[in-house]
Amino acid sequence: MTASNLSTRAPRIGVSGWSGRALISAVLLVFVLFFIIPIVWLLLATSKTGRELVTLNPFLPGTFDGIVQNWNQLFAYQDGAVGTWIANSTIYTVGALVLTLIASIPAGYALALTQFRLRKAILVLTLIVMLMPSTALVLPIFLELNTVGLIGNPLSVILPMSFFPFGVYLTYIYFSTSIPQDLLAAARLDGCGEFQVFYRVALPLATPIIALVAFFSFVQNWNNFFLPFVMLPSSDGYPIQVGLTSLLASTPAFNPSSAGAESVQLPTLALATVVSVLPVLIVFLFSQRFLVSGMTAGGTKE
Amino acid sequence: MSQFTEKTQPRRRVALSLAATAATALVLITAGCSSSGSTSAGEFGFPEAKQDTSATITVWVDSDRQAVVDAFEAAHPEIKVDAVSYDGSANGSNSFRTKMQLFDRSGSGWPDVVFSTQNNDAAWASQKTNGKQAFAAQLDGGLIEKDTLSNFTEGSLDPCTVDGKVYCLRNDLAQSVMWYDKTLLDQFGYAVPTTWEEYEDLGKKVAAEHPGYIIGTAGDAWTPEVFFWGSKCQANDVTGPREVTVNTTSDECTRAATMLDTLRENGTVPNVSVFTPEFLQQYTGKVLMLQGPAWYAGAIFNNPNSLNVPAGELGVGAPLPWKGEDPVTGNVGGGTWFISSHSANLKAAKAFAEFATTADDYQVEKAPGYPAYAPAAEKWIAKQESSGYFATPLTALTEAGSQIWSGWGAGVFSQEAIWAKTITPAIASGESIEELLPKWQEAIKNQAQVDGYTVK
Amino acid sequence: MTAAIATAPEPVDATARRRAPAPRTRFGGARPGMSYVFLAPYLALTLAFGVLPALYALVLAFTDGGGGFVGVDNFVKVISDFRFGPAVVHVAIYLVIWLISLVILVTVLAIVVHAIKVRWLNTTLRFVFYLPGALAGASSVLLWLFVLDPTSSPVSGLLQLLGFDSFVQVIVPANLPPIFAIIAFWTGAGGWIVIMYGALNNISSEVMEAARIDGASTFQIATQIQIPLLRKWISYMGVMSLAAGTQLFVEPQLLSQASNAIVPNDYSLNQLAYQYAFQQNDFNGSAAISLLLLVVALALSTVFVTRGGLFDTE
Repeated sequence: MTASNLSTRAPRIGVSGWSGRALISAVLLVFVLFFIIPIVWLLLATSKTGRELVTLNPFLPGTFDGIVQNWNQLFAYQDGAVGTWIANSTIYTVGALVLTLIASIPAGYALALTQFRLRKAILVLTLIVMLMPSTALVLPIFLELNTVGLIGNPLSVILPMSFFPFGVYLTYIYFSTSIPQDLLAAARLDGCGEFQVFYRVALPLATPIIALVAFFSFVQNWNNFFLPFVMLPSSDGYPIQVGLTSLLASTPAFNPSSAGAESVQLPTLALATVVSVLPVLIVFLFSQRFLVSGMTAGGTKE
Repeated sequence: MSQFTEKTQPRRRVALSLAATAATALVLITAGCSSSGSTSAGEFGFPEAKQDTSATITVWVDSDRQAVVDAFEAAHPEIKVDAVSYDGSANGSNSFRTKMQLFDRSGSGWPDVVFSTQNNDAAWASQKTNGKQAFAAQLDGGLIEKDTLSNFTEGSLDPCTVDGKVYCLRNDLAQSVMWYDKTLLDQFGYAVPTTWEEYEDLGKKVAAEHPGYIIGTAGDAWTPEVFFWGSKCQANDVTGPREVTVNTTSDECTRAATMLDTLRENGTVPNVSVFTPEFLQQYTGKVLMLQGPAWYAGAIFNNPNSLNVPAGELGVGAPLPWKGEDPVTGNVGGGTWFISSHSANLKAAKAFAEFATTADDYQVEKAPGYPAYAPAAEKWIAKQESSGYFATPLTALTEAGSQIWSGWGAGVFSQEAIWAKTITPAIASGESIEELLPKWQEAIKNQAQVDGYTVK
Repeated sequence: MTAAIATAPEPVDATARRRAPAPRTRFGGARPGMSYVFLAPYLALTLAFGVLPALYALVLAFTDGGGGFVGVDNFVKVISDFRFGPAVVHVAIYLVIWLISLVILVTVLAIVVHAIKVRWLNTTLRFVFYLPGALAGASSVLLWLFVLDPTSSPVSGLLQLLGFDSFVQVIVPANLPPIFAIIAFWTGAGGWIVIMYGALNNISSEVMEAARIDGASTFQIATQIQIPLLRKWISYMGVMSLAAGTQLFVEPQLLSQASNAIVPNDYSLNQLAYQYAFQQNDFNGSAAISLLLLVVALALSTVFVTRGGLFDTE
C-alpha cells in the first residue's frame, strides 16, 4: 500500500468496481425483501376480512371498508380496552425509561471511566445477572414486591423494568471506546469535581448512547409480557402486550372454544398488532436523529 | 492496585454473605407466609375464610363470558361484582393455574369466581399442593344444592369430579356429533351413515365418485377426542387424582386408527385442521360431513369467516357406534366455573356461579354453546331450531349430550397437546396412525408421569 | 483535589507530550468514592431485581417444595426427564445456526449500510431492518401462522419450491431449528444493526480517510480497521446472542400457539423450566434448569469475553 497506489476507483460510494456494487446491491435487496415482506403482508391484512385473508392473494390489498370494520371491531372489544392498554403501556414504559436513564448512564460512565475497587466485580456480576434466565427470577421478584405490598401497583412493573443491565453495558462500552481519558483528566486539571466532569464533559458527548439506551429500554419494556402478566392481577392495568394475548384467546383460530358473538377475527388481530407496534416505530424514527455520524467536536487535539 | 487486594477480599466476602443471608431469610419468610388458616373442614367440606356477605366478589372471565357479568349485574344489582378479564387459560397458556400458584405462595389475592375454557383444571385445583389449601371449593358438600347439581346433564360434571367430589360447575358441553351437508348428500345420493363401518364405506365411495370432497378432518388437536374417545379407546382412563390407565393398542383403539388411515389415504379425511387457511382454501364447498363437537355449528359452518354454509343445508346426525355396540361419543372442550375456597363471600360467589351456568338470561339467551345444565339446554335447542338455520332437528345434539363415554377422564396433562406434538407431525411425514399407536401410548405415559401420575 | 501532576514551569511542546508515556495516574486521580455515588441507583436495582432473586433461585434449586435441603436431587430429576435430552439437542442446534448467522450477517450488513453515504437510503435501510424487531411475542403469532403456510403465505412460492405443501409439513421437527433461527434473526438483527451502526459512527472519519488515501479497498478497510475497532461491540453481541440463544423461548412458544401445539411447548430448555414452574408447580426443578442454563451460558460466554476484551479499558 504505497503512496503511488492512489487510485480513484469510485471513491465517493466507497465500493470498488461495478461488480462489487452489483453484488452489494443484490445482497442488500435480498435482505430488504426478507425483512419487509412479512410486514407488507401484515399491513395489507388489516384491510381484509377473515375470508379475504385466506382467499385473496397475499399481496393484494383488501378494501378501505375492511380497515374501518376491523378498526371498529378492535376498539369495540371490551369497550375500548385497547385504548386503556396503550395508555397503560405508555405509563409503564415512560416511567421505566426515566428511571433507567437515571440509573444506567452514570453507572456505565463510572464503570468505564473511573477507577474503584469493585469495578471488575460489578461488571462480572452484571453479566451473570444478564445471563440468568428470567423464568427463575419471576417468582422471587413477585414475592419481594408482594412483601412490600406493591402487587397491582404500577410501580410493581416500573421498578423491575428499570433494571436494565443491557443498557449499562452499552453505556460502558460506549464510554470506554469513545471518550478518551485525557479529556477527563484535562477537566479535572481545570478544577472540576467528579460530578461536574460527568455533567459537563461526558454527558454532552453521550447523546448517541443516551438515545440508544432510551430507545432499547422503551422497546424492551413496551414488548415485555411476562412481568406485567405476573404482577398485575386486574385487567384495567394491562399493558398492550398482555392485552394482545387476551385478544388472541378470543380468536377462534387460536382458541377454538371461543366461537361466539364476541369472537375476534384474524384481520382485527393484525390491526391490533400494527397499532401496538406504531409507538415503537415512532420512537425509533425520533431517536435515529441522535445517532449522528462522527464524533462531536471537543476532543483533545493531538 | 495490589495494596487494595487484601482489603477488598474481606469486604467482598462480607457483601456476599450478607446477600446470601438476605436471600435465605427471604425464602424462610415467604415459606412461613403460607396461609395456614383453619385446617378444620367448614360447613361445606373445606376450611373457609372469614365470611362477609357484603364484600365485593372478584370474578375472572374471558371476553366471551363478559356477557355473563352484564346479565348477572342486571339480575342481581345488590351484589357487587368486580370483573377481571383474562385469556380464559386458553390455547395452552395455563394462566389460571399460573396465577393461582403465585397467589398461593404469597398468601392472598385469589379471585372469588373463575371461568376457565379448559375442562381439566379440577384435576389440580382440587388438590393441596406443597401444603397449601386447594384453590377450588368443594361444591357438593352443601355449597350448591343437590337438586341443582343433579339437573346437569348426566356426565357433564365428570371433568369437575375428582375422587367422587364435585369441584366446579360445567358451563357448556361440547359433545361430538356428525355434522353433514344435507343438500350435498341428497345431491350425491348418499345416505347418512349409522355406524363407523358405514362411515368408512361412505368415505371409499366419495373418494371414488367425488374426489376432493371430505367427510372429516384428522389434523386437529382434538382428533383423538372425536375418533378415539368415541371408539372407547382407553387412552386417558383417569382413575384417581393421580392415577391413570393408558392402553392405546387395544382393539378399540386399533379399529379407529385403521379407519382413519384408510380415509386419510383416500383423501376423504385429510390431515388438516379446520382452523387453518389451508382448510378454507381447499375445502370450502367440498365438506360433505364433519365429525366434530357442538360448537362447530357457530365456529365453522355458520361463520362467514369460515365455511359459511348457507341456511337450510346443515344437518346434525347422531354419534356413530361401532356395529353391534351402543353409541358413545367424545367431547371437545366446554368451560368450567370455579368458586374459590378462600372466598370471603361464598354466598355471592355461589349466586354468581349458579347464575352463570343455570340462568336462562345467559345460558339460553346469550350463550354460544350447548348448556351443560339440562333444563337450559332444552330451551337453548328450541331457540336454535327456531332460528331456521339447520336442515334437521337438533335432537341428535341432546342425545349425544348424555352419550359422552365416561372412560376418558380429564387429567392435568393435555391429551390434545400430546397428540399434536407426537402424532400430527409423524402423520405428515408419512407414518400411519396404526403404527404410531405404541408411540402415542409412550408419549401419554411420559407426560402423565412428569405431571405426577402413576400410570398403569 | 487532583493528583500531583507537576506543572512544568515552561510550556512543553505538543509533540513531546504526545510521545511521553501516558501518566500512570490514568484516571486522573478521580476520587473512588464518587464512583459509588454514580453507581448507587443501579446497584440498588441490581440488588433488588438481580442479585437477591438469583440467590433465591439458587436456594430453590437445592431445596424441595417444603424448604428442606435435598442436594442435587432436583438436578437429577430434571436431567432424567424425558424432555430434557431432546431439549438440549434442540437448543444446541439452534444456537449454532443462530449465533453464526447473527454475528456474521449483522456485522456485514452494518458495515454495508454504513458505507452507503446517501442519507435517506441509509436511514430507510436501518428502518426497514429494524421494523420486524418491534413485533414481539403475541403480535407475531398470527404473522407466522400465515407466513409458514404454503397455501396462503406471501412467500408461498419459496415454500413450495422447497417441497412443502402444507403447514404441518413446514413445521416438522427437523425444520424447526432453522425456522426459529430465521424468526429470531428477523426480529433480532435490526436492533444489533442499529447498535453496530452507532459503533461504526464512532470510528473517527480521519482514520477512515487516511486509510482510503493510502489506497485501501473497502473490503480491506472493513476487515483491518472497522472490525478490529468493533471488537468490543461484536464480543458483546456474541455474549448477548449466546444468552438469547440458550434461553430460546419466544419463538417456539409463539409457533406452539400458532400451530395449536403441534410445535410443543417444551421444545427448549427455557420452556421446560417454565413448564416445571407453572404447569407442574415445581419451582425447584425449574430453578435447577435455569441454573444449568446459566452455567452453560457463562462458560460459553467467557470465550467471547476474553477474546473480545470486553472488560478491558483503554
